[in-house]
Amino acid sequence: MSLTRRDAIKQMLKVIAAVGAANFFSYEDLVAMENGKMIKPNIIWLHGSSCSGCSCSFLNIEDVSVLDILTRYTNIIYHPDISLATGKQVTDLLDKASKELKNNYLLVVEGSIPVAMPHACMMGDRPIMEWMEQMSTSASACVAAGTCAAFGGITGMQGMDAGVMSIGNFVKAKKLNKPVVALPNCPMKPEHLIYVIFHYAKFKTIPELDAEGRPLRFYSQTVHERCIYYSEFQEKNYAKKIGEPGCMLKLGCQGPVTKNDCMQIGHNNNTNTCIKAGHPCIGCASEHFPRQIMLHTFDDKRAIAKFKNFKFEG
Amino acid sequence: MGVQKITIDPLTRIEGHLKFVTKVENGIVTEAKCSADMYRGIEKALIGYDARVAQQVTQRVCGVCPYAHAEAASLALENAMGIKPNHNGQLLRNMTVGAYQLQDHLLHFYVLSALDFIDITAVLKYEGDDESVLSVKNWVQNELKSSKIFPAAPFLPRYEAMYAKSNTTNFTAIKNYLEAIKVMADLTKAVAVFGAKAPHSVTLEAGGVTTIPTVEKLAKYRSLVMSARKFIKNNYINDIIAVAKEFPDYFKIGAGYGNYLSYPYLPDENGENHLFIGGSTIGDKYEELDLKHIFEDHKYSYYKSTPDSNVRPLDSTVLTPINYEEFKKEHTKEDGKYSWSRAPRYKGEIMEVGPVARVINTYKSGKNKKLNALVDSINSKLNLTFKDYNSVLGRHLCRAIASSIIIDKMLEDIEKVVPDQLAFVERAVPKNAVGFGLTEATRGALAHWIETDENGLIKNYDMIVPTTWNISPKDAKGTPGVVEKMLIGTKIKDPENPIELARIVRSTDPCLACSVH
Repeated sequence: MSLTRRDAIKQMLKVIAAVGAANFFSYEDLVAMENGKMIKPNIIWLHGSSCSGCSCSFLNIEDVSVLDILTRYTNIIYHPDISLATGKQVTDLLDKASKELKNNYLLVVEGSIPVAMPHACMMGDRPIMEWMEQMSTSASACVAAGTCAAFGGITGMQGMDAGVMSIGNFVKAKKLNKPVVALPNCPMKPEHLIYVIFHYAKFKTIPELDAEGRPLRFYSQTVHERCIYYSEFQEKNYAKKIGEPGCMLKLGCQGPVTKNDCMQIGHNNNTNTCIKAGHPCIGCASEHFPRQIMLHTFDDKRAIAKFKNFKFEG
Repeated sequence: MGVQKITIDPLTRIEGHLKFVTKVENGIVTEAKCSADMYRGIEKALIGYDARVAQQVTQRVCGVCPYAHAEAASLALENAMGIKPNHNGQLLRNMTVGAYQLQDHLLHFYVLSALDFIDITAVLKYEGDDESVLSVKNWVQNELKSSKIFPAAPFLPRYEAMYAKSNTTNFTAIKNYLEAIKVMADLTKAVAVFGAKAPHSVTLEAGGVTTIPTVEKLAKYRSLVMSARKFIKNNYINDIIAVAKEFPDYFKIGAGYGNYLSYPYLPDENGENHLFIGGSTIGDKYEELDLKHIFEDHKYSYYKSTPDSNVRPLDSTVLTPINYEEFKKEHTKEDGKYSWSRAPRYKGEIMEVGPVARVINTYKSGKNKKLNALVDSINSKLNLTFKDYNSVLGRHLCRAIASSIIIDKMLEDIEKVVPDQLAFVERAVPKNAVGFGLTEATRGALAHWIETDENGLIKNYDMIVPTTWNISPKDAKGTPGVVEKMLIGTKIKDPENPIELARIVRSTDPCLACSVH
């Protein structure tokens, strides 16, 4: 007994509303998708210098089942944590895809690309930067999944030797002329990726971006502007300790300098957000992540040095 | 057949970038080299950051087991502060890391390992009425009929080898594969209830957990964990037993050195009487843990700092990587450096860490009667001894045993939480202090060491991580690491499809991002 047509459409409507794509996905689009008349985007996923956190986050999605993503909405050509392909099968598959699926896949990259030390991330005896160049040359667009891919993040923190580049900077430096969507958050929010995929399925383009390459749909405001404690901030009611009600600005909150939609789409299927869990925002989606000090006591007088991201000019 | 070289690069369905090269003589592996292929350098980069940043940054060492780094970093800083979390703080920390570990064990068995044993194409023969399995069947059918360049990706291509023959085993496991993904999402939601998010829970700070446990939150956590309980206690363990029946050889294949190291994990509300007891078992003899026996070598690792052997944690503030030219040169040498991972040793011995170590050391300590009873009953049911645990299936089985014990503890701990009471003790960061923190990550024994300066900023940081123990290259004496040892002696049926090697390495659940950090 498989799903009835009506059930399938109902389920998809829920999905589309949940990921915020309801403004461009019509009933007719749904029918087309259900009948297999709308093409399913091909996806190739690579790990750069990363921790697999974004992949895990992707598997945690609930609004759309992983099964539906695999079978109904996309063709996952390769994913390092899901694919059964192993060893040479992988490198052969990627070589073949870059030749035979030219301009016909979304390249999702998790993690950054070490450029100063190419040997800091290898796959199939080749530096990942070579793979990145090969695979993005043939891609129709790239998705920088998570803060490392979008801005360098942890892999680009002050004091690292590998000299990493964000996906956007890499594509620019290599003059690859490919659109790149940055989805910062550590880890990436799966809803953001699904939105990009739906947008691509419908329009064959990526959504409208801000100057940092982030979809305006999610990153037009700071966490602070939509914070549950915003009125406390206006009243200057500051929490002096963890556990006290009030704005956590003076405990180190990075909400005012972090653009993201955490107050709309919380983590893990909207189960929670850092601020609602009594912790100041650590700015994990920010271009300045990780800061030198993230959480401190109310009377901490140590100045926060403005560590900028290490950006490699290659 | 003569001498062959079999290389698997990249090994997929693990965390990170791993290559391994084996020398095969007459179908048997005689040499093995595991190369951890990614380097970031997080420990030494932390120098100069605020001591509390270590928790947030080190959990980003790994997106699969971040909770364990958060806990170890918090314990290290608490040790330097000279404090312990309060009653609620300890319980919420347990509940968060425990739920996360359960999720991680399911991820490892179903998503990362099961399809090395289970035949996904058997779904074409499915005649039952489970909707999800039917939709996989329809999908596979249509894919194979299609003219796509990559039909049925990401499930094909795969190694063509002997997969499970029993339809019941295959159908049940495929159904549970799909079900497990939902259970995993539930468990990560349970983590997020107090941890704020998963991966990378921000609230697990030194001093406890910043979330206030309201009754509503406790109820939500309980219902999420309860819904996972049935799956873990029935489906998960039964699938492993079903695989064991189809592949009994794998209780013999993939044996390591049989030396086990583990750390104490999941204490009671006072931070004592851990559910899993730390210690070492060397040649069957169990002893209590003593950290002073830990040293690391990097003679075969891509670093040029000296000395390259017997380095103690916090001994050095620099670990200089070799450059790309030197890297390429090492690869031309017969006996050159070949991994980013270092080689930790305990009393000079090569120790396996992970679920088997956790179960065997706890069993031998005799301090957890429930665990001993469960182990005894499984051993008699499957006719096993601890010797069989030193194998591919032994490692899968121990994860299920540990999961069953952990989920009960989670449901006990929740009853002890005092609602609405703060779970966090606030302290300024300690100045000129030193501390260490120990826990069991999903993949085994995890230790962090921290040293702070006069401003409470990090002066030095060290981590010795589970996969560093398991995936270590040769040490300064030239003795192979644990996984290398597991591969040696393995019989390869088909060099084009060396699934035996993939099954062995995946059974240790390697996490390369952790291993090198």
